Amino acid sequence: MFDPALFKLPGMRRLTVILALLAVIEGICIIIQAQFMSVAIVGLWHLKALGTVLQPMLIFAIAWTMRQLLVVVKNKLMYPVVEKTTGDLRRQVMQKLYDLGPSYVAKTGTGNVVTTALEGIDKVQTYLMLVVIKVIDMMVIPWVILIYIAWLRWREALFLLAIFPLIILFMIILGYAAQAKADRQYVGYQRMSNHFVDTLRGLPTLKQLGLSKRYAENVYQVSEGYRKQTLAVIKIAMLSTFALDFFTTLSIAVVAVFLGFGLIDGSITLLPALVILVLSPDYFLPLRTFASDYHATLNGKNAFAAVQKMLALPIATDRDQLGDQPLAWQADSTLSLQQVAFSYDDAQPALSQLNIQAHGYQRIGIIGASGSGKSTLINLLGGFLTPTAGHGTIKVNGQTVTHLNQTAWQQSFFYIPQNPYLFHATLAENIAFYQPDAGLSAIGAAADKAGLTAWIKTLPDGLNTAIGEGSRGVSGGQAQRIALARAFLDKSRKILLFDEPTAHLDIETEAALKQTILPVLDDHLVFFATHRLHWINQMDYVLVVDHGQIVEQGTPTELTAHDGAYVQLRNEMGGGK
Amino acid sequence: MKDFFATFKHDTWVMPYLRKYKKLLALTLFLGLMTFFCGSALMFNSGYLISKAARHPYNILMIYVPIVLTRAFGIGRPAFRYAERITSHNWVLRIVSDFRKKLYQAVEKQAVAIRQNFQTGDVLSLLADDIDHIENLYLRTVFPTVIALMMYVLIVIALGYFSWWFGLLMLLLLGLIVIVMPLLSVLVNGARETQSRAIQQTFYTQLTDAVMGLGDWLISGRRADFNARQAAPIDEIAQLRRADHQFQWWRDFTIQLIFGVICLALMVWSSFYWTSNRDSANWIAAFVLSVFPLVDAFQSVSQGVSEWPSYQRSIVRVNDLDTAPVDDHDQTILTEPFSVLRVGQIDFRYPAGQRQIFNQLSLTLKAGEKLALLGPSGTGKSTLLKLILGDLQPDAGTIQLNDVPIAHLQNERAQLFGVLDQQPYLFNTTIMNNVRMGNLQATDDQVKAALEAVELAPMIDALPDGYDTMVAEGGARFSGGERQRLALARILLQDAPIIILDEPTVSLDPITEAHLLATVFRVLHDKTILWVTHHLAGINYVDQVRFLEDGQFDMAGTPQELYATAPRFKRLYDLDQGRD
Repeated sequence: MFDPALFKLPGMRRLTVILALLAVIEGICIIIQAQFMSVAIVGLWHLKALGTVLQPMLIFAIAWTMRQLLVVVKNKLMYPVVEKTTGDLRRQVMQKLYDLGPSYVAKTGTGNVVTTALEGIDKVQTYLMLVVIKVIDMMVIPWVILIYIAWLRWREALFLLAIFPLIILFMIILGYAAQAKADRQYVGYQRMSNHFVDTLRGLPTLKQLGLSKRYAENVYQVSEGYRKQTLAVIKIAMLSTFALDFFTTLSIAVVAVFLGFGLIDGSITLLPALVILVLSPDYFLPLRTFASDYHATLNGKNAFAAVQKMLALPIATDRDQLGDQPLAWQADSTLSLQQVAFSYDDAQPALSQLNIQAHGYQRIGIIGASGSGKSTLINLLGGFLTPTAGHGTIKVNGQTVTHLNQTAWQQSFFYIPQNPYLFHATLAENIAFYQPDAGLSAIGAAADKAGLTAWIKTLPDGLNTAIGEGSRGVSGGQAQRIALARAFLDKSRKILLFDEPTAHLDIETEAALKQTILPVLDDHLVFFATHRLHWINQMDYVLVVDHGQIVEQGTPTELTAHDGAYVQLRNEMGGGK
Repeated sequence: MKDFFATFKHDTWVMPYLRKYKKLLALTLFLGLMTFFCGSALMFNSGYLISKAARHPYNILMIYVPIVLTRAFGIGRPAFRYAERITSHNWVLRIVSDFRKKLYQAVEKQAVAIRQNFQTGDVLSLLADDIDHIENLYLRTVFPTVIALMMYVLIVIALGYFSWWFGLLMLLLLGLIVIVMPLLSVLVNGARETQSRAIQQTFYTQLTDAVMGLGDWLISGRRADFNARQAAPIDEIAQLRRADHQFQWWRDFTIQLIFGVICLALMVWSSFYWTSNRDSANWIAAFVLSVFPLVDAFQSVSQGVSEWPSYQRSIVRVNDLDTAPVDDHDQTILTEPFSVLRVGQIDFRYPAGQRQIFNQLSLTLKAGEKLALLGPSGTGKSTLLKLILGDLQPDAGTIQLNDVPIAHLQNERAQLFGVLDQQPYLFNTTIMNNVRMGNLQATDDQVKAALEAVELAPMIDALPDGYDTMVAEGGARFSGGERQRLALARILLQDAPIIILDEPTVSLDPITEAHLLATVFRVLHDKTILWVTHHLAGINYVDQVRFLEDGQFDMAGTPQELYATAPRFKRLYDLDQGRD
């Protein structure tokens, strides 16, 4: 029930002690309230005047108010700790995300990362808020009440004590039964519940195939099937709640009957009997409130575990082997990879035996069929992936580094992928992302070089127009130009990593964009992964990648003469008629 | 309140269903009522039982009835509760089936307008979520509230029977709990809801910027900025939650205090009403004790009702869907085999658009011809396809198959057009079923032959489940090229005379693209093909090329003619072939 990680949260131990003490006081309030309410009722039962029971009524009122006030107090004590914890968790998650980098996002999926950071932590908040107080209440209040009942009359107390573990036992058994049944039906169940969204998404295709109208009946039938299966599961799942309900209400009924017999044979008087009767529902109350929120706590517990797991992931160390200032890449600078390898999840190597010598302002094309490892190689060069430890060496200007996830290295290149991400910000802020202090005139000049001026003129607020998802739409070609404008604005970064920048563009846009890209390539070290043939003509060195290995490398002229993998690939790419 | 009624003014989603399964609904409410009745009656009866027993009756038979009743109520409460849960879920799930069908039909009408891109996926999930929301509206808000209100009326009537002034007092006190507090909650929450959504939206935006733009953040080295940007919304969310919680705590506290007052009031009333003799005094404990089980039933109403604003949004959204049936009395069928598609001097402009998309555009496509349509993005290639399919109507000019306007052939569309687009959808069923959707009457052998034709047979044979392999949702199991081939097999079975290819290779690499195009033009050699493409790979498969620019065709001819006479075409072609 209690996640041990909870106790590691700052301030949690102290809080637990305070909450337990307050629970004892709450238990005492419950007893006082029950006692004096019974005194008042018994007074009236003896046909005494209202005036004589005013005092116990007042005490009841005070104890009742106190009890409710304690609930608020406990929440108020708990909340700052919860708030701080969830706030800290959110911050930690974001910082961890920065440390883990884009390869983590690629592996986990954008949706999952967003869900963990947003809804996941919301669930953790609900969980913390519910579970701590409720568990403490459940562990303290019934005992306080039970002790008082035992002091009044041990037989009923013994019965109540015995029934408690029995209830929990039944709930667990029935819970398992329901789980087993649910598990058995899970696959079909899952498919049915996804069927609807699946159908909605496939609607255009259904319409094209002329099936869309008659599919409505199918939607209904599947949904009805889903209903029947759900009911079958619910019938069992609800049994666990039924058991709790059944045993608690029946226990109260049994206690009432016991007390009735006791009263008849005179072994007890009305006042203690009434007190016991009033207290018995309160004895079960903490258990019932805990059970009613059980599912919320379960979700929260899983979310909490997921967050903890993410925070425990290892992160790259030794990021400052090249210092923490950007490199000054020059005509005589060098980068060398010797026998470097990489694998996702330590399984099959995704890249192996990489030997690359790059120097100065070379233009290095990376070509290969899809799935050959081009993008993985670019990601390795960008430091987004960490090479297998103990395999080969990487040197930057002669200095050995363990990986390229180096602060200095990463601040020296631009990475331009197929779909550059545009931030929810103005066009100017997007262009100046790498140079947040750049002036508007410099930004304008960079935009002009990137060929954006004509488009900017059509925008309502020019450079200050908000772009990014949900704002103004930006075409693929324009997104590439914005990414290029970033490179034009920041001339200090002398290395460029391109990952198929024109793959999705139509031929005319591509042709126009090429004219913009060509001048950027001058005076830069360029790595250019592509499968568009015409780019290769612009490169002065080519790496041919196949199955995670560099199978050929050299100048285009050398490779053409060699008549190997390069020539074969060129022929295939030009394929068709 | 006005807002509340406005939501239901033209409602076709919530109210009609309350009427549809009336009996089950009545049963659900009855069982819910009995649950709380038994809970209260158990304490009432127990209170009476021990009071009576304390008078030392001569024999046990005097208290025999209350003893039996105590047990009956003790078992009745959980049993009714269990039955109530089952029936309420049954009722709600029945409604969900109806909802789904209805939502499907509403969306079906606009099926093609909704393109299969990322955002429409979101819209559809949103609509699916709305249905879940309405499901919760019933379970969490409507049922508890109605049951509590019924309980409220019963209690007031019952107490009013004994003394009218006390009934009136309870009308007021319990009214505070079941009417005033819920309204207050919904008021406070409604105001906060708008604010909350704005903050959540900011946080979501920041978060997507952080996650999707993580690479840029990392290499920009702007770590401090990255952290600072997340801080503001995190604090705002915390503040909002704090206010939310505070309100809930004090609201629940107030409700409990009112119950305390009700208890005291009952004792005072009893001291006047039930103290005439010893027998009637036995009822005092009964009345006072029966209050406590009610706390559960009444307290949950406020929370349920306060969730109304979020349900309201869902109800408004589904009600905005057009559910009117389609008028198709002017539909006809093509009696002759397809011979020619004529687009005659059409003008088109989107209703809200500034720009004239087409200006006197004409195009003729004879049976068996193959035409490629090119042009920069945004020039209206997709719009032209929608006009040809009849999803859009031109402002002027005609679009006809043989001599029949396309607008009158909408019911026959699937027999006339096969469409292969950028992301053909694969349903989460077997390969066999997916392909058979092209023609439900096709035999297994025909389906296999189609898969053989598109060169997928070896791949499928290698799968452990072969042709019965489940296609995971959205076809994620297969590569882009394989998905297109599966869809192509479907089109082969569909066997329509005209095939529309809407950039089917846009997300494929050149090698896969070249292979796919070779297959497409091989298996569709006897069809009429209209192919929208973004570059020139495979252009030699077609007889005609059209370049769309500024609402008109500015280049037209066979690929060979264009290469010889149009320098622009030559330049692009050379670029594509890597000869530049």
